[in-house]
Amino acid sequence: MNEREARLRSSRRRAVLKAAIGTGIGLSLVSAFYVGSSLRPRQVVTPDKEPLKPGDILVFAQGSGQGKPITPDDIKPGDPLILAHPMDPQSKVVKSGDAKNTVLLVRYSPEELDEETRKNAVEGIVAYSAVCTHLGCIVSQWLPDRKVGLCPCHGGMYDFAHGAKVVSGPPPRPVPALPIRLEGGQIVAAGEFTGPVGVET
Amino acid sequence: MYQWLDERLEISRLYHKFLRKAFPVHHSFFLGEITLFAFITLVLTGIFLTLNYEPSIRPTELPDGRTVPAAYASVLYIDSLPFGAVIRSIHHWSAHIMIAAAFLHMLRVLLSGAYKKPRELNWLVGLGLLGLAVVTAFTGYALPYDNYAVTATRIGYGIGASIPWVGPTVAQIMFGGEFPGSEMAIPRLYSLHVLWLPLTLIALISLHMVIMIKQKHTQPKYAERIAPGKILGVPMYPQQLVMMSIVFLLYLAVVSFIGGVFIAHPIEAFGPPTPQTPAVKPDWYFLWIYGILQVIPSEWQFRLFGALISPEFLGGVVVPGILILAAVLLPFVDTRSDKQRYLELPSQHPLRTSVTLGVLVFFIMATLAGYKIDFQQAGSPLGDNRVLWVLLLVVPAVTTLVSFVLIKNLYGAKNEASGQLEPKAGD
Repeated sequence: MNEREARLRSSRRRAVLKAAIGTGIGLSLVSAFYVGSSLRPRQVVTPDKEPLKPGDILVFAQGSGQGKPITPDDIKPGDPLILAHPMDPQSKVVKSGDAKNTVLLVRYSPEELDEETRKNAVEGIVAYSAVCTHLGCIVSQWLPDRKVGLCPCHGGMYDFAHGAKVVSGPPPRPVPALPIRLEGGQIVAAGEFTGPVGVET
Repeated sequence: MYQWLDERLEISRLYHKFLRKAFPVHHSFFLGEITLFAFITLVLTGIFLTLNYEPSIRPTELPDGRTVPAAYASVLYIDSLPFGAVIRSIHHWSAHIMIAAAFLHMLRVLLSGAYKKPRELNWLVGLGLLGLAVVTAFTGYALPYDNYAVTATRIGYGIGASIPWVGPTVAQIMFGGEFPGSEMAIPRLYSLHVLWLPLTLIALISLHMVIMIKQKHTQPKYAERIAPGKILGVPMYPQQLVMMSIVFLLYLAVVSFIGGVFIAHPIEAFGPPTPQTPAVKPDWYFLWIYGILQVIPSEWQFRLFGALISPEFLGGVVVPGILILAAVLLPFVDTRSDKQRYLELPSQHPLRTSVTLGVLVFFIMATLAGYKIDFQQAGSPLGDNRVLWVLLLVVPAVTTLVSFVLIKNLYGAKNEASGQLEPKAGD
């Protein structure tokens, strides 16, 4: 170490400069965290994104009758499953903004259902969350010969006559059921989903 | 004119310093160039697409009365422009070609041992480029906002969110909230796809090439026979430039033909997003991960410090992560003390070659597993999970073993004979 270097080491100017640079970097990092936290957007819950509530009317989610309430006559035993969205009975807002509100309806003959499933069913009609518990796709296909619903993404199959038991494929658990009742000929949610909707994290 | 410019910009000095760089001539050396040409094509066609694309899911009414997301409507509009659908197709197929060419380029480097000292850094930069190219392709996938793309991206979101502890936060930052649903998702993916990822790609491509020029190409094996100790190749200007131009024009011709004949991702047929999800398969470069997800049983999950370790995390993140980690560590495990000047022949490195073949066969078998549902519906024995597991584990192992024995026996004697001739290159 030569004399110049030794003098620089002990110089107060160097110390002040280092402290200033350190403080600057530190403050920038702190503010970067404030700015960076906005990268995760705020969740804005608009009326169409509110979660399903008991009393909501189930309406067609697609097709020509989209937005119209579903009646038991619309589904016959053996028909493919129907996708539905809940509609607020007062404001008439269809809660289609959140995919987690998607419900599937399917009708069996009442004797096909097991004890547990029958409690939530109406005239053989059962309702479940349509959000696959595997990776969040919509269970939207119906295999008429096996009478099970199929998630087309990775082939998960659910037997809706037996509490949506997973009969094939990767889903870790059944989709939760939705208790329903009839009110003025329309199918209405009688309670909350029986379990968490969608993919567990 | 030349003299006027030369007096001011000293072009002749530039020429003597850089444009005389020697490029070895070997057909396998064009793979990296094709990757670059695909990228240039992607940037040019991408600029055209940005000028007419609307990154929003705001409801818009089409002339035929349907209400669809604005992004979907704007892609329909692009398709209606003169050559619009073809340019979108070229953009789509170029992304496929870029990933394929980058992968083959990596295979060439791997099989010829060109990752060894002193080129470890450029191997890492190259791996980063391949990963970024795949991520860029993925972020672009959802932009047309048709039912198929939304479903495929939703699965990607699910896999990202399955990472324990940090997954949901990371996925929400990348997708701008939950996907699908969040209005911020398309603007966020758009910004990543057209700005941040291409900028990073350009920076890394430049770094890749600067390091390559500084360290010089590894020489093909024949250079050692013809002119040992010398650098063999054609100068960048004019010979190499002419060859590059020919390859670029050939590339454009081929991709225009493909783009014109096979219109990519027909969004009109897929339709705007509906509550229903169609049966989707990812693009071929994700199909092996998709296949692994198909065969991992759903019981393979447990809780660790409050987070769920799910089959999606194991199959979609851990397995690819192990392969990437192996690739990152490779040049630091398999290295040499002197600087490498010549490519190694795959036949002289039976272990490396046979393990590479085994990994390739693993990719093919995992891709096959991606068709599990189709096999099941066709009643094929390949629909059985146990059969697929055997294919996935045993076939790659057998391939490795057989190719190792074969290479040893076929080339072993020759290797020993030529082993004495191997010059101890030290510079």
